[in-house]
Amino acid sequence: MQRRSTSLHVVSWWTVYTIVAVWLQTLLPGVDFLASGLVLSLQERPGPQTAFLAVLWVLLQEGMGTMAFGYGLMWFGVLALAYLGGQWLFEARSFLFMCLLGIMLGIGHPLLAFFLGSLQGVVLPLKELALEGLFQTVLFPVVWYVARTLFPQGMRCDDSNV
Amino acid sequence: MTKPKKIAAIIVAGLFVYLSLYTWNLRTGHLDALSAYTGLDITGWIVRPGHWVTDRVSDFWGRYIYLVGLRQENERLQEANARLRLKNLMLSDRADATARLERLLQFAPLDNWSEQGARIIAHRMGPVSSLETVIVDRGSLAGVQDDMPVVSLDGVVGRVLRYGATASHVLLLSDPNSRVSVIGKEKRSQGIVVGQGSGQDLKVEYIKLNSPIEPGELLETSGLAGIFPKGLPVARVKTVHRSDISLFLSITAEPLVDVGGLEEVLLLKRMAGPGENNATSVN
Repeated sequence: MQRRSTSLHVVSWWTVYTIVAVWLQTLLPGVDFLASGLVLSLQERPGPQTAFLAVLWVLLQEGMGTMAFGYGLMWFGVLALAYLGGQWLFEARSFLFMCLLGIMLGIGHPLLAFFLGSLQGVVLPLKELALEGLFQTVLFPVVWYVARTLFPQGMRCDDSNV
Repeated sequence: MTKPKKIAAIIVAGLFVYLSLYTWNLRTGHLDALSAYTGLDITGWIVRPGHWVTDRVSDFWGRYIYLVGLRQENERLQEANARLRLKNLMLSDRADATARLERLLQFAPLDNWSEQGARIIAHRMGPVSSLETVIVDRGSLAGVQDDMPVVSLDGVVGRVLRYGATASHVLLLSDPNSRVSVIGKEKRSQGIVVGQGSGQDLKVEYIKLNSPIEPGELLETSGLAGIFPKGLPVARVKTVHRSDISLFLSITAEPLVDVGGLEEVLLLKRMAGPGENNATSVN
């Protein structure tokens, strides 16, 4: 019974997170507010839950985006690989590590958009992409920190209730 | 196989699968359709209630907090006025509702094209959205198709880029990948309007050096590309430069539509049947 209640909390929390993140994305074009959630989910509940969220969020980003399918897949794939790889070198839940991931995403956004845009034959505004990358760099660790602070203790993987 | 070699093999295999999927999707568009019918629609469902809440809060603020009595009295007077106007409307057979509806009603129907209104629910959002677009609340369930012209009462806004069941992306004129075939309203010089990014003037290409065109002239859709009906206003010529090294004039033009302040648009759908497309009656 308690397990079911916790699962309901998990679903509710991630639903609210997704809605808020999508709304924030309408306010700041080009910035991904879901990426921080992916890392948080990897930290707290790696496994089927994270895989489900990743698939949902890839579809969301690709759907609300205007490029051919592929950016979101690569974006979240590289982020997950960088996080899992970085765990060997850094403390997984440290703010510094999140800042480094933010820098990687900030640099990766214009590069990936330019690369995939070239494959599709579309012209992209590089200055705007670079600016979006800058925002991504700054906001990624901030969003992660806020989300982690708000993430309920009872839903964490190291909690005995789970 | 050692561990580093195994990891490298997995990464190479992953890249191979990714590029295969990417190429397959570019040819078939199946994954684009999947993401549009899931992600785009879900985004629409998430964003729309927010607009509703914003409208209600704004309405509440205007009704009960800001100008409490005056606002209500004004509403009563407006209601009485509306009743009188309705009577007048029935007598004179003239549509005269709110300012917006009045303007919408003045949008004379195009021959062989049907119009339907749509609300802009979001502008460019997310890291994958690098093109200048807006999202509207109409999709394939409302008959939206690729390349449907999107206009406002001031002129052309863009065309449908991709659609889901209940929401669609509209590629704006200002996007550098947007191309619209145009013709001058007075001097009839033909060219192509190309976007130069958000907030920038449009560029008009391929107008010959000896073509007659002056700043201030209105550019309309020529209808040659088969996407837009002929005669929709697109932009107004701003500057004309005659270059010594080019065969074409260097022209910039101001878009007629301020997309930033736009809330509703009209989607134009071509109807089956013979006849010439003509939009000269558009106000």
